[in-house]
Amino acid sequence: MLRLARFDAPPETDAAPLSVRGLSCALSGRTILRDVSLTITAGEAVAILGANGSGKTTLLKCLTGRLRPNAGEVRWFDRPAHRTPSARHSIGFAGHDVALYPELTARENLVFAARMHGLPDPDRIADEALRRVGLERHAGQFAGRLSRGMQQRVAIARAVIHAPPIVILDEPFTSLDADGRQWLEDWLNGQRIRNRTLVWTSHDDAQTRRLATRQLELHNGDLIDLAHPLPANRRRCA
Amino acid sequence: MTLLLDSVRAWCWLLHKDLLREWRAPRGWSGMLLLAVVLAALIEMQLELPRELKRGLVAGLFWLAAFFAGTLALERSFAAERECGCWSALLLYPVAPGTIFLAKLTANFLALCLVDAVLVAAFTIFSDVPLLTRPAAFAGILLLANLGFASVGTLLGALTSGIQQRGSLLVLLLLPLVSPVILSAAQATRLLLADSPGDWQRWAQLLAVFAVVFVSLGTLVFEFLTED
Repeated sequence: MLRLARFDAPPETDAAPLSVRGLSCALSGRTILRDVSLTITAGEAVAILGANGSGKTTLLKCLTGRLRPNAGEVRWFDRPAHRTPSARHSIGFAGHDVALYPELTARENLVFAARMHGLPDPDRIADEALRRVGLERHAGQFAGRLSRGMQQRVAIARAVIHAPPIVILDEPFTSLDADGRQWLEDWLNGQRIRNRTLVWTSHDDAQTRRLATRQLELHNGDLIDLAHPLPANRRRCA
Repeated sequence: MTLLLDSVRAWCWLLHKDLLREWRAPRGWSGMLLLAVVLAALIEMQLELPRELKRGLVAGLFWLAAFFAGTLALERSFAAERECGCWSALLLYPVAPGTIFLAKLTANFLALCLVDAVLVAAFTIFSDVPLLTRPAAFAGILLLANLGFASVGTLLGALTSGIQQRGSLLVLLLLPLVSPVILSAAQATRLLLADSPGDWQRWAQLLAVFAVVFVSLGTLVFEFLTED
């Protein structure tokens, strides 16, 4: 039967925006995540550190419901994340790729995203989103012709166009120049003030210490809470 | 009712986005259409046969050319989404996977119709076989065959889009699965081109059944095929 999805606002609940229980994931026979558990409360800014290939992107794919884990589950506001189209209003995701259609203008990309979320008045919302990321003068420029930093801003504007309570970003600082990094740091701080739950991956320990309320590190499939790096806490960060 | 309207609206915007992208960056279209014309010209030049014999052959050759040129169109469909990382972002929107399948299917169906239009023109110019003697019936066969071809192609395109060397894999998987479509369409066209048309409707019915089965199947299983 054709499964239909419709706009469904995040529930007003005391449940944690993001919770993970016993998550294990193996790709091509290699264990990427091993029995990972995690609870992220509203307004937390969680940075996930780890070497290349440590499984950061895999963990984010599980958190966004894109990847079905071998064991365990991810819940958004206590609702199963996996394959629940209407629940996807709860999250905004910007990946390592900017995922913008190069043949569409910056504005058209955002209007398309607003339409996919079923938002009313997508043109006005797209203009507002562009203004918020400081790109209103580049609205009519094709996304493929924007600089990498500008593309990243549009990608983030697209990820949060529906004002999701959970925002997940995969290495958002990659390829950004000094101005872009400063803008993104300010933006992340602004989101924290709005009580939005933030999760992002990074390689920069000093920077995440400044921005995050919590630092986690993926190491050999285990998620370690860097505030409590004791052996007993190596697997459970809840 | 609201749910259905939301899905129809999402389908419209997905299709609008695909058509707008193709209009602005018609990558690969020149190659695809050139292939269609060259195939039609080559086939015609090799067939120095009496008109009656040629009629029997042209139907099969037309659909063979449509398969090769159409396969190029289907290959591009998902490659364009993947190359800029847009496919993953698309699957994260709160839209039912079946709606995404139907939008992609419609875009592919329209692409195949365009390829067929060029092939019909090329075959009409290069051969003296009148393909359009019964235009309404021939258009019906074209539409049904394209719907079956596009539904299988969209399913397999989604299935193979995450795999390297997917181009050759798509052709390998596509050929056996769409053989019933090519054979039925060729038979129906051959009977239609004859001086006294035979029972071409039975082959058209087979095309319709194939299209209904694969459109339904695709809508049901698309979400499982697009999992990482």
